[in-house]
Amino acid sequence: MRPKEKITVGDVAVVFTSKEEKEKIESLVIYKVNEKDQNIIIIDVMRIIQAISREMENMEIQQVGPTQTIVEVVFERKRASLPFFIVVWLLLFIGAALAIMNFHEDVSMRAVHQRLFFILTGEQDETPLLLQVPYSIGLGLGMILFFNHVFKKRINEEPSPLEVEMFNYQQDLDRYVIINENDESVTHIDER
Amino acid sequence: MVGCGFVAFLTVLGILPRLMQLTKTMKYIQGYEWAIISGTIVGVWFSLNLVYFPLFPTLIALVGLAHGIFVGMLAAALTEVLNVFPILAKRIGIDDQLAILLMAIVLGKIVGSLFHWMYFTS
Repeated sequence: MRPKEKITVGDVAVVFTSKEEKEKIESLVIYKVNEKDQNIIIIDVMRIIQAISREMENMEIQQVGPTQTIVEVVFERKRASLPFFIVVWLLLFIGAALAIMNFHEDVSMRAVHQRLFFILTGEQDETPLLLQVPYSIGLGLGMILFFNHVFKKRINEEPSPLEVEMFNYQQDLDRYVIINENDESVTHIDER
Repeated sequence: MVGCGFVAFLTVLGILPRLMQLTKTMKYIQGYEWAIISGTIVGVWFSLNLVYFPLFPTLIALVGLAHGIFVGMLAAALTEVLNVFPILAKRIGIDDQLAILLMAIVLGKIVGSLFHWMYFTS
């Protein structure tokens, strides 16, 4: 929604009724966006019932689905700039490389690889590259396997764990906003 | 007791469930459990005793590859990447380019590991 627009019943709900009444109900205005609301407005189903029963007599209203709607007011589109993105990309690249190098030193993987090479071949080798180069390639493969993403393509239909995490975060945000920004759900008794 | 901790660590990260989901081989879970147990026992044996036996180079390369894939999945499953990354991307508005940033991390790890083994330690 843009600022200074009106929210009608048809915007936030799907109406099932006889044809003549459907258009009338859908055009009922519930709320007008003003500046005080900032980004998020919650429309509770009780407002819809209020608006409908004010206009039409003898209406039986049955509500199906979630009881609140979250309306997001868009002021301007947030767009990350390209140099910023490149900086972040380089940061992640160098950070990951150094993290893995420190991890190797921490767990003394070099000694383990040397010993493993001796166990598997009977020869001593200071830098057993035969083990280590496939290991490095496997590192990348393992991460990609876990995330289900090779560049922009998916290996599989299923959502990757990252997407599930983002979805969960969005759900948590929505639930918090519904409780907090909704005027109906909080009543101050001692200020009356 | 150490075994309990080890298995708990592996369980929490969800590597095995993820692999089973990708290959759709859920019913072989018993087999996978035995694989982990026997692999751990062989590892303990190798690290405490000095044995050796000659193997083909291809097989050794495969062992290295498998090692890398496992550690890569471990690194990907750590909470820092899995929880923080998507939230961060959504906060600063770059969530449609998430895949490219993921590639940054993956390529960084590969290049860092190669660099470490080939130049850093000489």
